[in-house]
Amino acid sequence: MRNFVHLHSSSAFSAHFGVSWPEELAQVAAVDGDALAVTDRDGLYGAVKHVKACMAAGIDPIIGVDLAVVEDGPGGPVAAGRVVVLAHGGTFLPPGTGYAALCRLVSAAHAGTPVGLTLDQLAAGVLDPESGKPALTVLLGPASPVGRSLHGRKYLLPRTKFLQWHKAMPDGAMVVEIASHLSAPGAPLSTAHAVRMLKLAQEFNVPAVLSNAARYAHAEDAPTADVLDAARNVMPLGELHELQPTGQAWLKSAAQMRAVAKEIVYQGGYGNAELSQLWANTAQLADKCRLDPAADLGWKQPATPEMDVLGLTGTAGVELRQRSEAGLVQRFGNLSGTKLLTVRNRLETELATIGGLGFESYFLTVAEVSDMIRTMGVRRAARGSGASSLVNYLLGISAVDPIANDLLFERFLSADRSTLPDIDLDVESAERHNVYRGIFERFGPKRVTLMSMQNSYRARGAVRDAGMALGMDRGDIDQIAKQLWRFSAGSFREALEEKPELRDLAAQVRDSRHADGGGQLDLLVDLTERLDSLPRHISMHPCGVILGDSGLLNRTPVQPSGMGLPMSQFDKHDMDAMGMLKLDVLGVRMQSAMAYAVREIIRLHPTREAVAEEGGHAPDAPFITEGGGIDLDAVPFDDEPTFELIRSTHTLGCFQIESPGQRELVGKMAPAEFSDLIIDISLFRPGPMKSNMVKPFLENRAGFSPAHYAHPDLIPVLEETHGVTVFHEQVLRTLSTMTGCTLSRADEFRRGLGNPSAEPAVEKYFRAKAAGNGYSQAVIEEVWGTLAAFGSFGFCKAHGAAFAVPTYQSAWLKAHHPAEFMAGLWEHDPGMYPLRLIVAEARRMGIPILPLDINASGGQYRAERTAANVTGIRMSLAGVYGLSGTELKRILAGQPYGSLAELRDRGRLSRPILKRLAQLGALDSLHRRAQQRTGNTANRADLIAHVNSLPAHKANKRNEPISGQLALPMEDVELGALAARHPAAGLAETVRTELDLLSVDVSGHLMESYAPLLDRLGVSRAEQLLGLRNNTEILVAGVRVATQTPPMRGGKRVVFISIDDGTGCVDATFFSEAQEKSGPLLFGTRMLLIRGLTRRTGPRGITVQALEAWDLQDLDMNSLPGSLLGALPEMRPEPVPDMEPNMRPGSLAGSPSEALPEPPCWPVHRHADIIEEAHSNPRMLLGHGAAQDKSRS
Amino acid sequence: MGSFSEGIDVVSSPEGELLQLCWRGAHYAIEPHPLCWYERRSWWESESRVPPGEGAGIVDLQMWRLQLRREGTPGCLTLDVVHYLPGGQWRVIKIHDAVDEVFWPEELADGA
Repeated sequence: MRNFVHLHSSSAFSAHFGVSWPEELAQVAAVDGDALAVTDRDGLYGAVKHVKACMAAGIDPIIGVDLAVVEDGPGGPVAAGRVVVLAHGGTFLPPGTGYAALCRLVSAAHAGTPVGLTLDQLAAGVLDPESGKPALTVLLGPASPVGRSLHGRKYLLPRTKFLQWHKAMPDGAMVVEIASHLSAPGAPLSTAHAVRMLKLAQEFNVPAVLSNAARYAHAEDAPTADVLDAARNVMPLGELHELQPTGQAWLKSAAQMRAVAKEIVYQGGYGNAELSQLWANTAQLADKCRLDPAADLGWKQPATPEMDVLGLTGTAGVELRQRSEAGLVQRFGNLSGTKLLTVRNRLETELATIGGLGFESYFLTVAEVSDMIRTMGVRRAARGSGASSLVNYLLGISAVDPIANDLLFERFLSADRSTLPDIDLDVESAERHNVYRGIFERFGPKRVTLMSMQNSYRARGAVRDAGMALGMDRGDIDQIAKQLWRFSAGSFREALEEKPELRDLAAQVRDSRHADGGGQLDLLVDLTERLDSLPRHISMHPCGVILGDSGLLNRTPVQPSGMGLPMSQFDKHDMDAMGMLKLDVLGVRMQSAMAYAVREIIRLHPTREAVAEEGGHAPDAPFITEGGGIDLDAVPFDDEPTFELIRSTHTLGCFQIESPGQRELVGKMAPAEFSDLIIDISLFRPGPMKSNMVKPFLENRAGFSPAHYAHPDLIPVLEETHGVTVFHEQVLRTLSTMTGCTLSRADEFRRGLGNPSAEPAVEKYFRAKAAGNGYSQAVIEEVWGTLAAFGSFGFCKAHGAAFAVPTYQSAWLKAHHPAEFMAGLWEHDPGMYPLRLIVAEARRMGIPILPLDINASGGQYRAERTAANVTGIRMSLAGVYGLSGTELKRILAGQPYGSLAELRDRGRLSRPILKRLAQLGALDSLHRRAQQRTGNTANRADLIAHVNSLPAHKANKRNEPISGQLALPMEDVELGALAARHPAAGLAETVRTELDLLSVDVSGHLMESYAPLLDRLGVSRAEQLLGLRNNTEILVAGVRVATQTPPMRGGKRVVFISIDDGTGCVDATFFSEAQEKSGPLLFGTRMLLIRGLTRRTGPRGITVQALEAWDLQDLDMNSLPGSLLGALPEMRPEPVPDMEPNMRPGSLAGSPSEALPEPPCWPVHRHADIIEEAHSNPRMLLGHGAAQDKSRS
Repeated sequence: MGSFSEGIDVVSSPEGELLQLCWRGAHYAIEPHPLCWYERRSWWESESRVPPGEGAGIVDLQMWRLQLRREGTPGCLTLDVVHYLPGGQWRVIKIHDAVDEVFWPEELADGA
């Protein structure tokens, strides 16, 4: 039996409903069909992926939607059922008409609540407004309001409803969908139900088509659909009435569908004529709806905003040339002769390539957006390979000079490249939404929409929903979910066997097999694996904005995003296929933090002189304006104190170089100029790490070994990195030098590296051409080895250059304006670490941390001049746990307060909040003032007790002062007369309270109260480590600030834990054995004591290879764990007071630099490569997983 | 009428049509067009493993209502049998006393 076309099938992109991926569905459909429809629930979420899958499987795509129908209920509109709506192809209508109508229909369905359309809206939406002909077909099936009315044994109701639909829908726009999942006679989706639908169709002479209302590709996927039904309804399987009636909803073969059809026809009392008719109708509708990707969807055809929207009258090509010429005068006005000629030639090459690809309007559009952001007064920076383009530099999109930095345009765009270029803009994160709104206003809402992203099941979510479906206890499931740490749900069973921290859970699973009702945990593991990576919902993409022409909304359906602006139902994987221009406008917190720091500097130092004095700048520094403003982008890239700070590895808070791995690398590399930063950032990537480039680079750089070049021809290419291939640009030049190919061709080859299907061809070409050009086999062998290892990873120098700018700027601010910079970090929280570590860093730098104060604190962390004339940072009221936005506003509006009574009256705070403020010391200043007058001796504990005893605040208008009435200046009698009854809290208790209520230890470092214990154990402090010999066994202790488990090449997991002890960070590495010994401690514990070996990594770098760890909070001096006791070299009776840190027993005398026992080289350590590889992982770099620690602390 | 479970043998034609049934040592001819449907199972109570890629036939059971005639015996016997997949075993689960208890003609007559 050949060719049955399924017209109703949901993909996995029907969240919590569909089970199978478009590729699976298309492959199954292609076995005995030549087309397949995707009809996802309430959207075209899987449509583009479906088209791709159909093209790959060689069948025609059909696109539709399974849409909710809304009817008026007693309490407003309610969902009354579902219909399928299919788009017509271009056979009877102008191409694209049907698809456009479908996009608009879906967008309209998302405009209201609940999502869906009324019959009237549907009837209007199916017509093409141009021709008045139907552009869509509605399938009225078993789940439709009519189909649902057939469940009761009523005669009249279904007929009334059917007639209503029949009358409302335009001729030829509706068919009846017959589907049976062979459920028990009388149940929904039974054959009897299908027969009734067929009879209605016959009675009213409406064509009937056959479908299987499919939810999965294969019969064995049916249990997953059950679990999704449970997840969607948030109800255990055992209590759920909305489960699929049977497990028959797979994409059945033509023969199986024929059998279903026969049964329906037979039970209906019909014969072969009706069977043939049903079959033929289905094929006919399928033909009507076949889509041609190019003609109907505009496949891969880019569309940009129209010229007149950009305010242009001429052609885009002329305009782009004019603007580039203008930029040339501005940026390179002082050049002449051959230098100018080089720039000119480059410009001509770029313009020719851009023109050849027809991308002129794209560049103009991006320039328009970039300019718009600038005029909004928002910091922005181009990132990525866009920095390689001179045109981008001339248009002001990018701030990096591609000529001076030797960046290759071919890496960004070339005639050999078929994909659209990416130009990414970083803006201040706090202004991101305003920038989006600006773009919508500038280009008009019909040309702009936000991009969406799919949120998929990961291990924790999957295990929660699987457990809920099985009806397991919520607490038990939470316990299990908490133990799952960064592996995909699909490898749960594997993880159980391998991961030490899951040991207990694995034992539970084994035990459950023998328990009563056995094996529930086994089932949990299987179901969790089934849910792996299935989409759950879409949300706004963190940076993607789609820009198109006025027809954009005919090409993508949109729905409201969380921030209110519409977002496309398509994600980034759909953009290229749909020819949609995506602009990445990424909110970067560091940009906000830096903008904030600059504003704080001006606020405290409103003149040029004051800023110059405070920051140690020359009085005539060109980057300082008269009013004390600092133009960060004008700061020269050669500031010595900035590089000194970077080399010190005290780079916490600096962009890109604060992670443990980067701190280690800058310690080794000791950057001295801006290009070093570009190299540093580029080295810290999987490619250079994988091809073992870091060590030779560092050794060559330090002069320990001479730079090695495979051939003298490569010296100009690799000189800047001492013979080591670091940049994509160098790969391109190497290929071009040795084979003679063009740079754009070389970039295509580079993309083939690491791709098993393309790399052999590249290798063959390289070997043949290089040999032809006279290179020896040995040279070819060596160079190919490097290229192959480099793979497709590595880093584009333009990326590195774009990244290095904010890296340098943040380090510059930290070096010159530390307090204001740290205030910016506290306010905008840009980094990978919890706030309390950044506060600890400020404390370490000697910046006064000013406590919360009801009068001095505002809603932000502010730099503040102290009485001692140094700049400190004042804690923000916004950080107080549980303080609402309105309460904060009232407090700020009522400042300053003279007495507790005033605060009560004007602030109208709840008693718990008032108590919290008292606990945090925010009321101490009021208290002190009263005490000065009365000599009262009560302490903060008494104040807290008093506040706690106050009657709850009553919102009574009569007690409020009449407006205009001035408060009588009265003394704070209340606080002046406070009874001194309670003992004052110790530092440890105060700090604990601060951590609970503010998540920050303000009064002192959390570790301070552990000092006696640590001293007795002989624990080393972070600042002492540099003075220690390599491979010294030590104990370290501190608060966990980051935990990272990057995926490793060898498959063995390594856990990196950074702890902070108040004198700095200690980065500890746990290999398998140490993980085994530490077990569950690895992830849950906040305060750790770690035994390990020092591992020197460079002149300023040292880390600890952990051997074992304990929970510091569980340690009892009187009963130390045996393993720890054995590790103690000797129990120290008493700490020696005032001893220099590096004079302690076990450490070497003298200053750290003199104490270096070895020459500054990095000993080959058995784990060194693993650590470097791990540190080079982008997940580590970007601090993934650290977020978890952040939220926990 | 009674509900229980009893093993039987069923003979099908090469096209899959059910022809003959052997039950309690006697052979019966199966009337054409027997009714077939699927019933849900609470698989999460009975199964301990449903790994991805397996599990066809776990969610539902194939049920048949068969009208049987025995040569030399007047009248017709109605049995509900379950066909276990993918194993292929058959079991009787219900014996109907009389034809009029069979629900499908009534179902179809109503509303259709």
